[in-house]
Amino acid sequence: MKKHFLLFTIISLLTLSVRAQFEIGVSGGYVNNYVHTNAGYRAFTQYRQYSGFVAGLVLQYHVNDWLAVQADPSYIRKSYELRRDHFFDGIYQYNLNGYLQLPLMAHFSFGGEKLKGFLNAGGYGAYWISGRIKGAMSNVFSSTPDVPDNEQTSDYFRYNEAYRYDEKYTFDSRRDRRMEWGLVAGGGVEYLLQQRFRLFVEARYYYGLTDQQKNYMIDQVPRYNDTYVLQAGCLVNLHRLFHGDAE
Amino acid sequence: MKMKKSPVIYLLPLLLMLMMTAACRKDLPQLNDPRDYVSANFNEVFDAFWTGMNNNYVFWNIDTVNWDQVYRTYKPLFAKLNVNDSNDVRKAYTYFKQMTAGLVDSHYDISFADTWLADSASVNPAFQRKIANPDFHPPISIFHFYDTIPRHYLSAGVRGFTNTPDKKQYVAVSGTINQNILYLFFSGFNLKTLFNTDTMNGVKRVEQYFFDNLAQRTDLKGVIIDVRGNGGGDLADLNFLLGKMTTRQLQFGYTRSKQGNGRLDYSPWAPAYVTPQPGAKAVTVPIVMLADAWSVSMAEMTTMAVKTMPNGHFVGERTWGANGPLTGNKFYNGGQFSTGWLNLVYTSSLMFKYKDGTIYEGVGFPPDITVPYNPAALKMGRDLQLEAALNLIH
Repeated sequence: MKKHFLLFTIISLLTLSVRAQFEIGVSGGYVNNYVHTNAGYRAFTQYRQYSGFVAGLVLQYHVNDWLAVQADPSYIRKSYELRRDHFFDGIYQYNLNGYLQLPLMAHFSFGGEKLKGFLNAGGYGAYWISGRIKGAMSNVFSSTPDVPDNEQTSDYFRYNEAYRYDEKYTFDSRRDRRMEWGLVAGGGVEYLLQQRFRLFVEARYYYGLTDQQKNYMIDQVPRYNDTYVLQAGCLVNLHRLFHGDAE
Repeated sequence: MKMKKSPVIYLLPLLLMLMMTAACRKDLPQLNDPRDYVSANFNEVFDAFWTGMNNNYVFWNIDTVNWDQVYRTYKPLFAKLNVNDSNDVRKAYTYFKQMTAGLVDSHYDISFADTWLADSASVNPAFQRKIANPDFHPPISIFHFYDTIPRHYLSAGVRGFTNTPDKKQYVAVSGTINQNILYLFFSGFNLKTLFNTDTMNGVKRVEQYFFDNLAQRTDLKGVIIDVRGNGGGDLADLNFLLGKMTTRQLQFGYTRSKQGNGRLDYSPWAPAYVTPQPGAKAVTVPIVMLADAWSVSMAEMTTMAVKTMPNGHFVGERTWGANGPLTGNKFYNGGQFSTGWLNLVYTSSLMFKYKDGTIYEGVGFPPDITVPYNPAALKMGRDLQLEAALNLIH
């Protein structure tokens, strides 16, 4: 079944690629993700942004010379950090979340023949496929030697040693909402090389509209991903690549 | 000639659509510290308590109480009460009892700040469940351990008690049975603190006897640690006591805490273990824990730890079922809290899971050999649970 699907996808892409309007490419880049939430009255605890990466395909279908439809099936890491400070300094957790994502955008380009500016705008759907948690917490069963009476302590690990972990995140179906929908907008510049290759750099912003949690409790504090991406890529016009510049 | 359309006519509606959908995110609720609510009316009293539980209780993962339903049912009931009417205060006390009756946390206890409730018992759901159980029995009298056991079973030994400034009394007994089985009883876990005092005290003398025999005797056939009726106490005693009987780290379970405000926001499971202490001796003879339905918290964890030893056994009854360690709320971002109207909502800071993956909170840890409480035998000076432990060693 998987093989048939793969074959179908490849044939579809090749069929499209023989048309001059269709371009295919790859892109990848740096991600900085913020989780829009709050820590309430949890003592000395904050959510912070964390970096990641994105890598994927770029599919572009040109409607005319300034408008195209673009889809970027990709893998993206939308991570965040939970960190404590002051006396609890050293206690943290990185939530490293992997998503399979499909942004679908209108691609507006403007400018000269070779060097163009462009804007992308649209929506996306993403599926949270994996997670990893990495961090340090104090272990109540790992007590340190007694603190002498005349000594003061600088952090909590002086009482309970740190338990350091790096493990696969276990999804909880009662809480975790794995499908994410949102808006995406970006802008950048592209350069046409030898009439066949289009190199581009782009800054993009993904605005999550779906809480990462299902509605499972009253007074739930939602968590939304705010994702900033800096990426570069290359698109190839396969028709021009194999058939030259003639239409 | 056809006019070429400007990209702007496509961009503008798209931007408008983006701006409209951007408003689709839910607002972040403002969560307040339960201590900050002003207890001027029962609306505030209820909100402070309900919010405190919503964010700080560590057992939502396994608890069967529907906390949202509690909100829907009791919020309007509290709204009808007057905080300055003593009848309404009594009614509120009943509501607190009803709201918390099914909570699995068996440490759970609410004490009230309101002066009209000064003569009322604290709300303790686990205790209420115990006394409603057909198998309920009172704890074995402390005099059984202090008088009867030394007289009827111990061939040599010491006993003592210590009163501490916080108005608690700790009782301990140690001795040998049949010359070569070392026995230790203590009523509460404060062993390390009492042992490290500058001056001698009753419990310290007993501890010294036990540790000396443990370290020096080579003819011991077994060790019995009796935590029946032991209400628990200081976690540091786990290493202090069992760390002297093992020379390698002994993992017997896991703990986890709350990590965020969500009911299901947890830290990962961290290992729970006994760490060998300096001068530890690997005890290879049978170690038998004697515990009963009144063995709580540290008494249960110590029993669990011994049970994971290859030479560890447990004789007696299923324990109380309060396994989650407790400390201040700020340390593990959850657990006990107070409000203006409640002195303390005493609840575990961490959830405990035994080595086999089972959570015994609210259930109790089961013995290898069950020997029920037998008041008739106790009255005759016989301790059938202790005798079963002796038979196991022989």
